[in-house]
Amino acid sequence: MKPRTGSSVLRLAVPFKALAQRFAVLFLVLAAFGLMLLSKAETVVVERAVTTISDIAAPIMDVLSRPAASLNAAIETARDLAYLRTENERLRRENARLLAWQDAARRLADQNEALQALLDFKPDPRMNHVSARVIGDAGGAYARSMLLNAGRRDGVAKGQAVVTGDGLVGRIVAAGAWSSRVMLLTDINSRVPVTVESSRNRAILAGDNTNLPRLIFLPANAVVRPGDRIVTSGHGGIFPPGLPAGRVVAVGDSGVRIQPFVRLDRLEFVRAIGYSGVSAAIPEEGDDAEAERR
Amino acid sequence: MTGTLTQRMDRFARHLLPLAISVVLVILSVVPVYLPGYGQIAANLVLMAVFFWSVYRPDLMAPAPVFGIGLLLDILSGMPPGMNALILVLVRSVVVTQGRVFRGKSFLVLWWGFSLVALGASLCLWLLSMGYSFVVLDPMPGVFRWALTVALFPFFAWIFVRVQNAVLQ
Repeated sequence: MKPRTGSSVLRLAVPFKALAQRFAVLFLVLAAFGLMLLSKAETVVVERAVTTISDIAAPIMDVLSRPAASLNAAIETARDLAYLRTENERLRRENARLLAWQDAARRLADQNEALQALLDFKPDPRMNHVSARVIGDAGGAYARSMLLNAGRRDGVAKGQAVVTGDGLVGRIVAAGAWSSRVMLLTDINSRVPVTVESSRNRAILAGDNTNLPRLIFLPANAVVRPGDRIVTSGHGGIFPPGLPAGRVVAVGDSGVRIQPFVRLDRLEFVRAIGYSGVSAAIPEEGDDAEAERR
Repeated sequence: MTGTLTQRMDRFARHLLPLAISVVLVILSVVPVYLPGYGQIAANLVLMAVFFWSVYRPDLMAPAPVFGIGLLLDILSGMPPGMNALILVLVRSVVVTQGRVFRGKSFLVLWWGFSLVALGASLCLWLLSMGYSFVVLDPMPGVFRWALTVALFPFFAWIFVRVQNAVLQ
Protein backbone atom coordinates (compact mmCIF):
# COMPACT_ATOMS: atom_id res chain seq x y z
CA MET A 1 0.00 0.00 0.00
CA LYS A 2 2.72 2.43 0.98
CA PRO A 3 4.31 2.96 -2.44
CA ARG A 4 0.84 3.44 -3.97
CA THR A 5 -0.08 6.24 -1.53
CA GLY A 6 3.34 7.73 -2.13
CA SER A 7 2.85 7.84 -5.86
CA SER A 8 -0.66 9.28 -5.62
CA VAL A 9 0.65 12.02 -3.36
CA LEU A 10 3.34 12.61 -5.93
CA ARG A 11 0.75 12.70 -8.70
CA LEU A 12 -1.06 15.40 -6.78
CA ALA A 13 2.12 17.20 -5.85
CA VAL A 14 3.54 17.62 -9.35
CA PRO A 15 0.77 19.82 -10.78
CA PHE A 16 0.62 21.64 -7.47
CA LYS A 17 4.31 22.39 -7.71
CA ALA A 18 3.92 23.60 -11.29
CA LEU A 19 1.05 25.81 -10.21
CA ALA A 20 3.09 27.21 -7.33
CA GLN A 21 5.95 27.94 -9.69
CA ARG A 22 3.62 29.69 -12.10
CA PHE A 23 2.39 31.85 -9.24
CA ALA A 24 5.98 32.50 -8.20
CA VAL A 25 6.74 33.81 -11.71
CA LEU A 26 3.64 35.99 -11.68
CA PHE A 27 4.59 37.32 -8.26
CA LEU A 28 8.16 38.07 -9.40
CA VAL A 29 6.92 39.88 -12.51
CA LEU A 30 4.65 42.04 -10.38
CA ALA A 31 7.48 42.61 -7.89
CA ALA A 32 9.75 43.78 -10.73
CA PHE A 33 7.15 46.27 -11.94
CA GLY A 34 6.57 47.41 -8.36
CA LEU A 35 10.29 47.98 -7.84
CA MET A 36 10.57 49.99 -11.05
CA LEU A 37 7.63 52.18 -10.04
CA LEU A 38 9.03 52.69 -6.54
CA SER A 39 12.44 53.65 -7.91
CA LYS A 40 10.82 55.98 -10.47
CA ALA A 41 9.09 57.68 -7.55
CA GLU A 42 12.52 57.91 -5.84
CA THR A 43 11.31 56.06 -2.78
CA VAL A 44 13.85 56.33 0.04
CA VAL A 45 13.69 52.63 0.97
CA VAL A 46 14.48 51.47 -2.57
CA GLU A 47 17.23 54.05 -2.95
CA ARG A 48 18.80 52.97 0.32
CA ALA A 49 18.58 49.27 -0.60
CA VAL A 50 20.21 49.96 -3.97
CA THR A 51 23.10 51.92 -2.44
CA THR A 52 23.58 49.27 0.26
CA ILE A 53 23.91 46.50 -2.33
CA SER A 54 26.31 48.66 -4.36
CA ASP A 55 28.33 49.17 -1.16
CA ILE A 56 28.55 45.43 -0.58
CA ALA A 57 29.65 44.73 -4.16
CA ALA A 58 32.03 47.71 -4.33
CA PRO A 59 35.10 46.01 -2.74
CA ILE A 60 34.78 43.03 -5.12
CA MET A 61 34.41 45.28 -8.15
CA ASP A 62 37.29 47.41 -6.90
CA VAL A 63 39.59 44.37 -6.91
CA LEU A 64 38.31 43.06 -10.25
CA SER A 65 38.65 46.42 -11.98
CA ARG A 66 42.35 46.62 -11.13
CA PRO A 67 43.71 44.13 -13.70
CA ALA A 68 41.83 45.89 -16.49
CA ALA A 69 43.09 49.23 -15.20
CA SER A 70 46.69 47.98 -15.01
CA LEU A 71 46.49 46.58 -18.53
CA ASN A 72 45.12 49.88 -19.74
CA ALA A 73 47.91 51.74 -17.94
CA ALA A 74 50.54 49.43 -19.49
CA ILE A 75 49.15 50.03 -22.99
CA GLU A 76 49.19 53.78 -22.41
CA THR A 77 52.75 53.66 -21.10
CA ALA A 78 53.85 51.83 -24.23
CA ARG A 79 52.08 54.37 -26.39
CA ASP A 80 53.64 57.25 -24.43
CA LEU A 81 57.13 55.75 -24.86
CA ALA A 82 56.68 55.73 -28.60
CA TYR A 83 55.90 59.43 -28.65
CA LEU A 84 58.30 60.45 -25.90
CA ARG A 85 60.41 62.87 -27.94
CA THR A 86 57.57 64.66 -29.71
CA GLU A 87 55.57 64.74 -26.49
CA ASN A 88 58.53 66.23 -24.62
CA GLU A 89 58.97 68.91 -27.27
CA ARG A 90 55.27 69.74 -27.15
CA LEU A 91 55.28 69.95 -23.33
CA ARG A 92 58.34 72.24 -23.40
CA ARG A 93 56.55 74.64 -25.69
CA GLU A 94 53.35 74.39 -23.69
CA ASN A 95 55.26 75.01 -20.46
CA ALA A 96 56.75 78.22 -21.85
CA ARG A 97 53.31 79.36 -22.91
CA LEU A 98 51.77 78.41 -19.53
CA LEU A 99 54.45 80.29 -17.59
CA ALA A 100 53.32 83.43 -19.40
CA TRP A 101 49.74 82.57 -18.48
CA GLN A 102 50.78 82.04 -14.87
CA ASP A 103 52.25 85.53 -14.72
CA ALA A 104 49.06 86.92 -16.18
CA ALA A 105 46.96 84.90 -13.75
CA ARG A 106 48.95 86.08 -10.73
CA ARG A 107 48.65 89.68 -11.83
CA LEU A 108 44.91 89.29 -12.40
CA ALA A 109 44.46 87.45 -9.10
CA ASP A 110 46.12 90.31 -7.22
CA GLN A 111 44.09 92.85 -9.10
CA ASN A 112 40.92 90.80 -8.57
CA GLU A 113 41.59 90.56 -4.85
CA ALA A 114 42.14 94.31 -4.60
CA LEU A 115 38.97 95.04 -6.55
CA GLN A 116 36.96 92.54 -4.51
CA ALA A 117 38.18 94.22 -1.32
CA LEU A 118 37.07 97.58 -2.74
CA LEU A 119 33.62 96.24 -3.58
CA ASP A 120 33.11 94.18 -0.43
CA PHE A 121 32.53 91.20 -2.74
CA LYS A 122 31.30 87.89 -1.31
CA PRO A 123 33.75 85.29 -2.60
CA ASP A 124 32.72 81.89 -3.93
CA PRO A 125 32.89 79.19 -1.30
CA ARG A 126 35.96 77.00 -1.34
CA MET A 127 35.62 73.65 -3.06
CA ASN A 128 36.95 70.53 -1.44
CA HIS A 129 37.37 67.40 -3.49
CA VAL A 130 37.34 63.68 -2.94
CA SER A 131 39.27 61.47 -5.34
CA ALA A 132 37.77 58.16 -6.38
CA ARG A 133 38.44 55.27 -8.71
CA VAL A 134 35.92 54.19 -11.33
CA ILE A 135 35.00 50.60 -10.47
CA GLY A 136 31.99 50.04 -12.71
CA ASP A 137 31.01 51.68 -15.97
CA ALA A 138 28.35 49.68 -17.75
CA GLY A 139 25.29 51.86 -17.87
CA GLY A 140 23.72 49.48 -20.38
CA ALA A 141 22.56 50.51 -23.82
CA TYR A 142 20.21 53.24 -22.63
CA ALA A 143 21.97 55.00 -19.76
CA ARG A 144 25.40 56.46 -19.07
CA SER A 145 26.65 56.15 -15.53
CA MET A 146 29.62 54.96 -13.47
CA LEU A 147 30.18 53.49 -10.04
CA LEU A 148 32.90 55.05 -7.84
CA ASN A 149 34.74 53.51 -4.89
CA ALA A 150 34.11 56.49 -2.59
CA GLY A 151 30.93 57.29 -0.72
CA ARG A 152 29.45 59.29 2.14
CA ARG A 153 32.20 58.21 4.54
CA ASP A 154 34.73 59.84 2.22
CA GLY A 155 32.70 63.03 1.90
CA VAL A 156 30.84 62.28 -1.34
CA ALA A 157 27.23 63.45 -1.35
CA LYS A 158 24.33 63.30 -3.77
CA GLY A 159 24.35 66.25 -6.17
CA GLN A 160 28.11 66.92 -6.13
CA ALA A 161 29.82 67.69 -9.40
CA VAL A 162 32.32 65.11 -10.67
CA VAL A 163 35.37 66.30 -12.60
CA THR A 164 38.81 65.28 -13.81
CA GLY A 165 41.72 67.59 -14.55
CA ASP A 166 40.24 68.06 -18.03
CA GLY A 167 36.76 69.15 -17.02
CA LEU A 168 33.28 68.13 -15.99
CA VAL A 169 32.29 64.45 -15.98
CA GLY A 170 28.83 64.46 -14.43
CA ARG A 171 26.99 64.51 -11.15
CA ILE A 172 26.60 62.16 -8.18
CA VAL A 173 23.08 60.72 -8.30
CA ALA A 174 23.36 58.21 -5.45
CA ALA A 175 25.85 57.99 -2.60
CA GLY A 176 26.24 54.92 -0.43
CA ALA A 177 28.60 54.59 2.50
CA TRP A 178 31.56 53.37 0.40
CA SER A 179 30.39 53.73 -3.18
CA SER A 180 28.52 56.23 -5.27
CA ARG A 181 27.04 56.52 -8.73
CA VAL A 182 27.80 59.25 -11.25
CA MET A 183 25.41 60.22 -14.00
CA LEU A 184 27.55 61.27 -16.97
CA LEU A 185 27.03 64.48 -18.97
CA THR A 186 25.97 62.33 -21.89
CA ASP A 187 23.17 60.49 -20.08
CA ILE A 188 19.70 61.16 -21.42
CA ASN A 189 18.60 62.49 -18.03
CA SER A 190 21.59 64.81 -17.53
CA ARG A 191 20.85 68.58 -17.52
CA VAL A 192 23.61 71.02 -16.57
CA PRO A 193 23.23 74.83 -16.47
CA VAL A 194 26.08 76.29 -18.53
CA THR A 195 27.25 79.49 -20.16
CA VAL A 196 28.99 80.02 -23.48
CA GLU A 197 32.32 81.42 -22.28
CA SER A 198 32.85 84.02 -25.00
CA SER A 199 29.35 85.50 -25.15
CA ARG A 200 28.18 84.70 -21.58
CA ASN A 201 24.91 83.36 -22.99
CA ARG A 202 23.20 80.94 -20.64
CA ALA A 203 21.95 77.56 -21.75
CA ILE A 204 21.36 74.02 -20.55
CA LEU A 205 23.71 71.22 -21.55
CA ALA A 206 21.46 68.23 -22.15
CA GLY A 207 22.66 64.67 -22.68
CA ASP A 208 20.90 62.36 -25.11
CA ASN A 209 22.90 59.13 -24.79
CA THR A 210 25.14 60.07 -27.72
CA ASN A 211 28.77 61.10 -27.26
CA LEU A 212 27.94 64.71 -28.09
CA PRO A 213 25.42 66.35 -25.72
CA ARG A 214 23.31 69.28 -26.96
CA LEU A 215 22.86 72.89 -25.84
CA ILE A 216 19.19 73.64 -25.25
CA PHE A 217 17.28 76.73 -24.12
CA LEU A 218 19.89 78.93 -25.77
CA PRO A 219 18.54 82.50 -26.27
CA ALA A 220 17.23 83.00 -29.82
CA ASN A 221 19.68 85.79 -30.60
CA ALA A 222 22.71 83.97 -29.19
CA VAL A 223 25.65 83.50 -31.53
CA VAL A 224 27.48 80.21 -31.04
CA ARG A 225 30.40 79.14 -33.19
CA PRO A 226 32.26 75.84 -33.37
CA GLY A 227 35.22 76.03 -30.99
CA ASP A 228 33.44 78.08 -28.31
CA ARG A 229 34.15 76.86 -24.78
CA ILE A 230 31.19 75.85 -22.61
CA VAL A 231 31.57 76.17 -18.82
CA THR A 232 29.16 75.54 -15.95
CA SER A 233 27.24 78.65 -14.94
CA GLY A 234 26.62 77.74 -11.31
CA HIS A 235 22.90 78.46 -11.65
CA GLY A 236 20.73 76.13 -9.64
CA GLY A 237 23.44 75.91 -7.01
CA ILE A 238 24.44 72.32 -7.76
CA PHE A 239 27.63 72.88 -9.73
CA PRO A 240 30.34 75.42 -8.92
CA PRO A 241 30.56 78.04 -11.67
CA GLY A 242 33.33 77.97 -14.25
CA LEU A 243 33.99 74.23 -14.55
CA PRO A 244 34.96 73.55 -18.17
CA ALA A 245 32.37 71.22 -19.73
CA GLY A 246 33.21 71.06 -23.42
CA ARG A 247 33.70 72.72 -26.77
CA VAL A 248 31.12 73.42 -29.47
CA VAL A 249 31.76 71.09 -32.41
CA ALA A 250 28.67 71.51 -34.57
CA VAL A 251 26.00 74.16 -35.01
CA GLY A 252 23.22 73.02 -37.27
CA ASP A 253 19.70 71.74 -37.66
CA SER A 254 20.22 69.07 -35.03
CA GLY A 255 21.09 71.80 -32.52
CA VAL A 256 24.37 72.87 -30.99
CA ARG A 257 26.54 69.83 -30.23
CA ILE A 258 29.23 69.83 -27.55
CA GLN A 259 32.31 67.64 -27.37
CA PRO A 260 33.04 67.12 -23.64
CA PHE A 261 36.63 67.91 -22.63
CA VAL A 262 36.81 64.65 -20.71
CA ARG A 263 37.07 61.35 -22.59
CA LEU A 264 34.21 59.71 -20.77
CA ASP A 265 34.88 56.16 -21.91
CA ARG A 266 38.42 55.92 -20.52
CA LEU A 267 38.05 57.32 -17.04
CA GLU A 268 40.01 55.78 -14.22
CA PHE A 269 40.18 58.45 -11.52
CA VAL A 270 37.74 61.27 -10.92
CA ARG A 271 37.07 63.89 -8.25
CA ALA A 272 33.77 64.73 -6.59
CA ILE A 273 33.66 68.37 -5.55
CA GLY A 274 31.63 69.96 -2.79
CA TYR A 275 31.62 73.41 -1.25
CA SER A 276 33.39 74.43 1.98
CA GLY A 277 35.21 77.54 3.10
CA VAL A 278 36.57 80.23 0.80
CA SER A 279 38.46 79.50 -2.40
CA ALA A 280 41.77 80.84 -3.56
CA ALA A 281 41.80 82.06 -7.16
CA ILE A 282 44.93 80.09 -8.07
CA PRO A 283 45.32 76.54 -6.79
CA GLU A 284 48.40 76.00 -4.62
CA GLU A 285 51.09 73.72 -5.98
CA GLY A 286 50.54 70.16 -4.87
CA ASP A 287 46.82 70.73 -4.48
CA ASP A 288 46.15 68.43 -7.37
CA ALA A 289 48.91 65.95 -6.64
CA GLU A 290 46.69 63.85 -4.39
CA ALA A 291 43.85 63.89 -6.86
CA GLU A 292 45.92 62.62 -9.74
CA ARG A 293 47.50 59.73 -7.86
CA ARG A 294 48.50 57.79 -10.91
CA MET B 1 18.01 12.29 -0.17
CA THR B 2 20.72 9.70 -0.43
CA GLY B 3 24.37 9.65 0.48
CA THR B 4 26.36 10.93 3.41
CA LEU B 5 26.38 14.51 4.57
CA THR B 6 29.56 15.31 2.64
CA GLN B 7 28.09 13.87 -0.55
CA ARG B 8 24.98 15.94 -0.09
CA MET B 9 27.00 19.08 0.57
CA ASP B 10 29.12 18.32 -2.48
CA ARG B 11 26.04 17.97 -4.66
CA PHE B 12 24.56 21.13 -3.20
CA ALA B 13 27.72 23.08 -4.03
CA ARG B 14 27.79 21.67 -7.56
CA HIS B 15 24.16 22.58 -8.06
CA LEU B 16 24.84 26.16 -7.01
CA LEU B 17 27.39 26.52 -9.81
CA PRO B 18 25.10 27.85 -12.58
CA LEU B 19 23.88 30.59 -10.24
CA ALA B 20 27.41 31.34 -9.03
CA ILE B 21 28.64 31.66 -12.63
CA SER B 22 25.75 34.00 -13.38
CA VAL B 23 26.71 36.22 -10.43
CA VAL B 24 30.35 36.30 -11.59
CA LEU B 25 29.16 37.26 -15.09
CA VAL B 26 27.09 40.08 -13.58
CA ILE B 27 30.20 41.52 -11.95
CA LEU B 28 32.36 40.93 -15.04
CA SER B 29 29.88 42.77 -17.21
CA VAL B 30 30.00 45.95 -15.10
CA VAL B 31 33.76 46.16 -14.45
CA PRO B 32 35.31 48.89 -16.64
CA VAL B 33 37.21 47.64 -19.70
CA TYR B 34 38.42 51.03 -21.06
CA LEU B 35 37.41 50.27 -24.64
CA PRO B 36 35.86 53.37 -26.21
CA GLY B 37 32.15 52.86 -26.72
CA TYR B 38 32.12 49.32 -25.36
CA GLY B 39 30.01 50.25 -22.31
CA GLN B 40 26.96 50.82 -24.45
CA ILE B 41 27.21 47.70 -26.60
CA ALA B 42 28.68 45.32 -23.98
CA ALA B 43 27.48 41.77 -24.59
CA ASN B 44 24.75 40.57 -22.25
CA LEU B 45 26.75 37.76 -20.60
CA VAL B 46 24.16 37.16 -17.89
CA LEU B 47 21.45 36.48 -20.45
CA MET B 48 23.65 33.75 -21.98
CA ALA B 49 24.05 31.96 -18.65
CA VAL B 50 20.36 32.20 -17.74
CA PHE B 51 19.35 30.99 -21.20
CA PHE B 52 21.80 28.10 -21.27
CA TRP B 53 20.89 26.66 -17.90
CA SER B 54 17.18 27.29 -18.36
CA VAL B 55 17.45 24.95 -21.33
CA TYR B 56 19.60 22.23 -19.78
CA ARG B 57 19.06 22.47 -16.02
CA PRO B 58 15.89 24.49 -15.32
CA ASP B 59 15.85 22.90 -11.85
CA LEU B 60 19.07 24.79 -11.03
CA MET B 61 17.75 28.09 -12.41
CA ALA B 62 14.68 28.66 -10.24
CA PRO B 63 12.67 31.85 -10.85
CA ALA B 64 13.56 33.56 -7.56
CA PRO B 65 17.38 33.32 -7.94
CA VAL B 66 17.06 34.45 -11.57
CA PHE B 67 15.13 37.45 -10.31
CA GLY B 68 17.90 38.12 -7.78
CA ILE B 69 20.59 37.94 -10.47
CA GLY B 70 18.66 40.39 -12.64
CA LEU B 71 18.23 42.72 -9.70
CA LEU B 72 21.95 42.61 -8.93
CA LEU B 73 22.70 43.45 -12.58
CA ASP B 74 20.25 46.37 -12.42
CA ILE B 75 21.81 47.77 -9.27
CA LEU B 76 25.45 47.39 -10.28
CA SER B 77 24.92 48.76 -13.76
CA GLY B 78 22.84 51.68 -12.52
CA MET B 79 19.65 50.72 -14.30
CA PRO B 80 16.20 50.99 -12.72
CA PRO B 81 15.92 48.13 -10.21
CA GLY B 82 13.60 45.44 -11.52
CA MET B 83 14.17 45.95 -15.25
CA ASN B 84 16.68 43.19 -15.95
CA ALA B 85 15.08 41.12 -13.19
CA LEU B 86 11.79 41.20 -15.07
CA ILE B 87 13.39 40.41 -18.42
CA LEU B 88 15.44 37.48 -17.07
CA VAL B 89 12.43 35.96 -15.26
CA LEU B 90 10.42 36.19 -18.50
CA VAL B 91 13.30 34.70 -20.51
CA ARG B 92 13.53 31.83 -18.05
CA SER B 93 9.78 31.15 -18.26
CA VAL B 94 9.77 31.20 -22.06
CA VAL B 95 12.86 29.00 -22.35
CA VAL B 96 11.68 26.46 -19.74
CA THR B 97 8.35 25.99 -21.50
CA GLN B 98 10.10 25.67 -24.89
CA GLY B 99 13.01 23.64 -23.54
CA ARG B 100 12.14 20.53 -25.57
CA VAL B 101 12.75 22.46 -28.80
CA PHE B 102 16.42 22.82 -27.90
CA ARG B 103 17.42 19.80 -25.83
CA GLY B 104 19.22 17.11 -27.79
CA LYS B 105 19.26 19.20 -30.96
CA SER B 106 22.32 20.55 -32.74
CA PHE B 107 24.12 23.63 -31.49
CA LEU B 108 22.84 25.66 -34.43
CA VAL B 109 19.28 25.20 -33.19
CA LEU B 110 20.32 26.38 -29.74
CA TRP B 111 22.12 29.39 -31.23
CA TRP B 112 19.13 30.28 -33.40
CA GLY B 113 16.86 30.00 -30.36
CA PHE B 114 19.20 32.18 -28.33
CA SER B 115 19.25 34.86 -31.02
CA LEU B 116 15.43 35.01 -30.96
CA VAL B 117 15.26 35.10 -27.17
CA ALA B 118 17.99 37.77 -27.02
CA LEU B 119 16.10 39.81 -29.63
CA GLY B 120 12.95 39.63 -27.51
CA ALA B 121 14.94 40.58 -24.41
CA SER B 122 16.54 43.57 -26.21
CA LEU B 123 13.14 44.73 -27.43
CA CYS B 124 11.74 44.46 -23.89
CA LEU B 125 14.67 46.42 -22.49
CA TRP B 126 14.25 49.14 -25.12
CA LEU B 127 10.50 49.48 -24.48
CA LEU B 128 10.88 49.35 -20.69
CA SER B 129 13.68 51.95 -20.79
CA MET B 130 11.49 54.28 -22.85
CA GLY B 131 8.51 53.68 -20.59
CA TYR B 132 10.64 54.36 -17.54
CA SER B 133 12.10 57.68 -18.66
CA PHE B 134 9.25 58.89 -20.95
CA VAL B 135 11.61 59.65 -23.83
CA VAL B 136 12.12 58.16 -27.26
CA LEU B 137 15.44 56.30 -27.27
CA ASP B 138 17.61 55.45 -30.23
CA PRO B 139 17.31 51.65 -30.61
CA MET B 140 20.68 51.28 -32.37
CA PRO B 141 22.89 50.70 -29.27
CA GLY B 142 20.48 47.91 -28.34
CA VAL B 143 20.74 46.40 -31.82
CA PHE B 144 24.56 46.43 -31.70
CA ARG B 145 24.45 44.96 -28.22
CA TRP B 146 22.15 42.18 -29.44
CA ALA B 147 24.42 41.41 -32.40
CA LEU B 148 27.51 41.25 -30.16
CA THR B 149 25.71 39.09 -27.61
CA VAL B 150 24.59 36.61 -30.29
CA ALA B 151 28.06 36.59 -31.86
CA LEU B 152 29.77 35.79 -28.55
CA PHE B 153 27.25 33.14 -27.49
CA PRO B 154 29.10 30.13 -28.99
CA PHE B 155 32.24 30.97 -27.00
CA PHE B 156 30.41 31.22 -23.68
CA ALA B 157 28.20 28.22 -24.49
CA TRP B 158 31.40 26.22 -25.04
CA ILE B 159 32.55 27.19 -21.52
CA PHE B 160 29.13 26.38 -20.06
CA VAL B 161 29.15 22.96 -21.75
CA ARG B 162 32.61 22.24 -20.25
CA VAL B 163 31.36 23.24 -16.79
CA GLN B 164 28.20 21.19 -17.28
CA ASN B 165 30.17 18.08 -18.24
CA ALA B 166 32.82 18.48 -15.58
CA VAL B 167 30.74 19.36 -12.56
CA LEU B 168 27.06 18.72 -13.07
CA GLN B 169 27.02 15.11 -14.25
